[in-house]
Amino acid sequence: MAAEPRIDGYAAAILEVAKAEGELARVGDELFRIARAFESSPELREALTDPRLPIERKQGVVDDLLGGKTSALSVNLVNFVIGVGMASDLPNIADRLAERAAAERNKVLAEVRTAVELDDETIDRLSESLSQATGKDVEIKTVVDPSIVGGVVARVGDVVIDGSLSHRMQELRKTLTRR
Amino acid sequence: MIQILAQEVVEESSGIDLLLPDTSELIAGFIAFSIIFVFVWKWVIPAADKALTARQEAITGQLTQAETAKQEAESLLDDYKKQLAQAKSEANTIVEDARQAADVLRSNLVGQAEEDAVSIRGKARADAGAEMDRAAAQIKDEVATLSLELAQMVVAGSVDESVQRTLVDRYIDDLGNLPS
Repeated sequence: MAAEPRIDGYAAAILEVAKAEGELARVGDELFRIARAFESSPELREALTDPRLPIERKQGVVDDLLGGKTSALSVNLVNFVIGVGMASDLPNIADRLAERAAAERNKVLAEVRTAVELDDETIDRLSESLSQATGKDVEIKTVVDPSIVGGVVARVGDVVIDGSLSHRMQELRKTLTRR
Repeated sequence: MIQILAQEVVEESSGIDLLLPDTSELIAGFIAFSIIFVFVWKWVIPAADKALTARQEAITGQLTQAETAKQEAESLLDDYKKQLAQAKSEANTIVEDARQAADVLRSNLVGQAEEDAVSIRGKARADAGAEMDRAAAQIKDEVATLSLELAQMVVAGSVDESVQRTLVDRYIDDLGNLPS
């Protein structure tokens, strides 16, 4: 997926910092999870993007939420993104970072959404099947999303393979309302 | 004195002389007659003749003029009659043309009105049909939405850990069947 040059630029900068610190895998994973939390929590999104709140206050919120739970580098990088006024682009930067990190390992990022957490064995099998189906060596990032009800939604680049119950419900709805 | 002279004359004449005028009187009478005759013959008759001729010519001219005028009047009358006939004919043609045009116009208007009526009826029928279709589709949508909401609630409640695992396993199996 083509990213905006600005977003890609920040993702590249964060990648270099994480690489220099030798924490690329961890930081990439943590930022990806933070980004998903940002997407799924309207309160967090509002707190970090409200233009009336000073940047220090926003960074304080990040410190309170993530301090002790994630690496100090991840917290600092999130605060850096908020500091440059790109809080609303945090998910895009994290996605791009994950893509770049995967590319560093000659892999393609696959975002996998499920209604419940997956165990490592299932993730491995899924990774193998997705690699086979897409013809690319994929690296999976999982996201727990209860709104899909059940099943799996995988996105590899621009390709989305939707096997969720919510999708099937929508298909059923289309069939029922078709004229 | 005159009476004496007359008496003397009567006394001197007798017999046929009583009937015949006196010679001198005859001569004088003849001369007077001749003079009058010549006068009449020479001037009065030619003058009268000339006047009569002029009068005759004038009358003849007037008659000719009257005849010409009459002919002109007749010719004009003929022209007027012809023009009147032509005008009548043209008027008839115009009236006939107008009548035909009116017939065509009426026929067209009636045809157009009938077409419009058919079109309006058709549109009204189509509108009514579309409205019914819309209402039916709306009901169908509402039924589908309610059914799905119900189904979603049932499904969400019945998807436990093992069902989740089965769904993920089936997804992985299906991926293996996708054309690469």
